[in-house]
Amino acid sequence: MISDRMVGVLRLLQLDDWSDGVADVTAAGAEALGVDGLAVSLVTEGDLTELLWCSDATTRHFEDLQLTLGEGPGLDAARTGTMVSVPDLATVRMARWPALAMEAPDLSARAVFCFPMGIGAIRVGVLTAVRRTPGALTAQQADDAVLLADSLTARCLGSGEPRLDGPSPADSPHTLQHAVIHQATGMVSVQLALPLPQALLRLRAHAYSSGHSITDISQDVVDRRLRLDPNGNGTPPPTVDKD
Amino acid sequence: MTREQRMTEVFVEVADSLIDDFDLIDFLQQLSVRCMELLDVAAVGVLLADQHDILQTMAASDEHTRLLELFALQHDQGPCVDCYKSGAARTNINLTDPKVTAAWPAFAARAAETGFVATNTLPLRLRGRVIGVLALFQSDPDPLRDQDITLAQALADVATIAILQQRTLAHSELERGQLQYALTSRIVLEQAKGILAERWHVSVDEAFAAFRSYARAHHHQLGQLAREIANGTFDTTQIPHQATAPPRP
Repeated sequence: MISDRMVGVLRLLQLDDWSDGVADVTAAGAEALGVDGLAVSLVTEGDLTELLWCSDATTRHFEDLQLTLGEGPGLDAARTGTMVSVPDLATVRMARWPALAMEAPDLSARAVFCFPMGIGAIRVGVLTAVRRTPGALTAQQADDAVLLADSLTARCLGSGEPRLDGPSPADSPHTLQHAVIHQATGMVSVQLALPLPQALLRLRAHAYSSGHSITDISQDVVDRRLRLDPNGNGTPPPTVDKD
Repeated sequence: MTREQRMTEVFVEVADSLIDDFDLIDFLQQLSVRCMELLDVAAVGVLLADQHDILQTMAASDEHTRLLELFALQHDQGPCVDCYKSGAARTNINLTDPKVTAAWPAFAARAAETGFVATNTLPLRLRGRVIGVLALFQSDPDPLRDQDITLAQALADVATIAILQQRTLAHSELERGQLQYALTSRIVLEQAKGILAERWHVSVDEAFAAFRSYARAHHHQLGQLAREIANGTFDTTQIPHQATAPPRP
């Protein structure tokens, strides 16, 4: 279950323009998770490549170090799609991240938790939470972090398009959880020779412009009543001649 | 074979799988089938709550869309949701009694269409928390006996253990991490089904059947293979399938 605090953070995130308000979101998010800083890094072709935003110097230093060394919990989370929890960086085994383990004593970050952002095989980025004191996250904090990563995923996938988490009259919240949407995403990616994230965006854009829910649009694609064409319009599939 | 012998076999099989490196979805699917056989019910599903507290189907004794939709219909109503919320097992729920089904009419109507007359729901329990539900559907109204219910709960507990036991690639230490990994694996599988269905011009059900036969025959882990297909790193022409004519341009 989500905590009341995280409900507040997600509400901040829902505000239309938070380009000025990133500091508020990160501060509130960090407080809700009981950590000192948060960062979001983006994934390209399976690897962490770019720091999108970051709340403080300790977190920035840790993210930069991971990217420079090419190893660490964030990179593991990006590659595997699994959350990675390091409650005490001082006790990390050398074998796990040898270069990072060498640097660990000099870091002010002591505990790091990385949450993959994505939907199935779609990997968008990693949400990293950093604390200057060691210690595990509570189950509640882990649940909250997963929900924050989820909202950020929708937000990052939607950039430049109708927002995935945006208001669409026909869509209920958490609508991206239906199996049929994932199946349709796979189908559209083949039809239009697009990577999965773009295929999902095309489905979402079509739902948005046609005023239908993404679940209904996806069902039509899976039942082959609808094919999205490369120009962005949806057409019924060509009819097969009947005997 | 007597029932006791079959039960022994199933538990040996389950224990063997849990010791080895196992694929969670494959494991839960086989557990669903065994559960169906042992309890002599018509269909079995394993549902896991996601981060939004919505039940997602992880595996079912029969992966046909028709049955999966019946489970999916229970995202906000139905006996599985009731069981998840209350944390208590509810057995021998008569789906033909309007008084019983009044709380979830849409689900009851669909269940009737599918031919189910009774259902039983058992919680997947974890240290005082409920993480999902094991659902048993019956096409005959004979109530399950107490010993069947006890067995069903034991199988539900085995499913919970498997979910927490799976070796995630990053060895996630948090329970939420284990649950997320399981849910993600299922999403990847659905994405892979769509890719194969479109590539082969078949239905998602047919695509999944061909995919699973191939994975079993070649000892590939279902989840891993789905990941490779979704990432485009597996040559899917290796998988034998029924080809149908592509739609005409």
